[in-house]
Amino acid sequence: MGVLVRSPWRLALALLISLASLPALAFAQAPSAAELARGKYVFGATGGCGCHTVPKGPANAGGRRYDGPFGTVYSSNITPDKETGIGGWTDEQISTATRLGRRPNGERLIPVHPYTTFNGMAADDLKALVAFLRSVPPVKRANQPKKISVPMFESVFLPAWLAAFAPRETAPTAVPTSGVARGEYLVRAVGHCGECHTPRTMTMATDNTRFLAGNPKGPEDSEVPNITPDKTTGLQWSEEEIADYLGTGNKPDGDVAGGLMGEVIEGTLAGYKDLSKADRLAIAQYLKTIPPIKNKIGK
Amino acid sequence: MTLRLARTGVILGSLVALAVVGCATGTKTTTIGTGDPVADRQRLMKNVGANWADIQAKVKAGAPDTVAVNAEALSLHAQRIPSLFPEGSLTDKSKAKPDIWQKWAEFQAAAKNLENRAGTLRDQAVAKDGAAVTTTVQTFGRDACGTCHTPFRVPPPQQQPAQPRS
Repeated sequence: MGVLVRSPWRLALALLISLASLPALAFAQAPSAAELARGKYVFGATGGCGCHTVPKGPANAGGRRYDGPFGTVYSSNITPDKETGIGGWTDEQISTATRLGRRPNGERLIPVHPYTTFNGMAADDLKALVAFLRSVPPVKRANQPKKISVPMFESVFLPAWLAAFAPRETAPTAVPTSGVARGEYLVRAVGHCGECHTPRTMTMATDNTRFLAGNPKGPEDSEVPNITPDKTTGLQWSEEEIADYLGTGNKPDGDVAGGLMGEVIEGTLAGYKDLSKADRLAIAQYLKTIPPIKNKIGK
Repeated sequence: MTLRLARTGVILGSLVALAVVGCATGTKTTTIGTGDPVADRQRLMKNVGANWADIQAKVKAGAPDTVAVNAEALSLHAQRIPSLFPEGSLTDKSKAKPDIWQKWAEFQAAAKNLENRAGTLRDQAVAKDGAAVTTTVQTFGRDACGTCHTPFRVPPPQQQPAQPRS
């Protein structure tokens, strides 16, 4: 302050900068309660962004380990902590990372984060999701560096793979609000069901010609069920039963969801269980319309 | 004198032998089930599932206060769960995760949680508090079963259609 007082020019400059930033502050309105509620709902519809939370750990603080054929990655801290999380990112930067898989420095995210699927998320939903992510408690936890074992993976292989094989969803201009279209949007984009339930080709891209036909080599060594309506190897539950399952974890045979499906139903700060009955039924209706594919998973 | 001593020795010896045999027999626990822990726990879990499906069916049918008998069965089954997971009982047929034995205290707590929640459900049903039963049932699958299934069981790969129940 002493320096400023001694130099009137500097004082004037400081005042000018303060005044210049005022309109920006005035327009950077805090998100409304409705916007945050919508964001939390979208967050739940993704399964609570559960990959970013170590089971029983602080929500969104990252650090969960994923092994792939290319090496090992750890999910990132997506809490609003300024140093270790995404607190220093702009809304646009968070959206870009979520949908397009680019960090603010231009670096590509490894597509373990399903940006080739979240690509189909409508702008309004994404905006609300970002607002919600900013509203949760910040957690200081430094990201662990990834260990890539394939040479030139990020400089050559990944861009080529994204250009050639990665499926891309198309974001709707308006969010579908009901019926099969709503179900399709929730299943294909926000819920990213195909990331686990769709088998992968040799290149590790999801094989969308066999959409949701089950994956014998799912994440964390799981065998992921075929949820197409195939009569012998697929999902034969009624729409009501599917909707109940997503809301409660209860299966019609008295069993209860476990593993990763149990996690996404329960969610973290929200999960599939928090979807409205109408949305859970819309998902069920859509699942009944996809092509049945014979693909027996497990013995 | 020698004879008396010898006789006393025989009697004492017999008593000691009897005591040893008695102790050995006494420590032998009574086995319930087939002795194959994987088969036994899968059988128990099938019954847990059948009772849970029955509870849900009764609530849906508008008879929540009739679930006491099922809830009591769940509570009793839960008490047996830890004993059916002896260390090393992990075969190809088992869907148990090795984490069970690495986090044994957590696993035991999860079984206790099922016992307690099932007990609460039973008490609500006995008290004919249908509203409370319905509320408990809404989250029971996730809170009572899911807290153990999610961390400790490899999910079955095929979704089974509902079995007709007798």
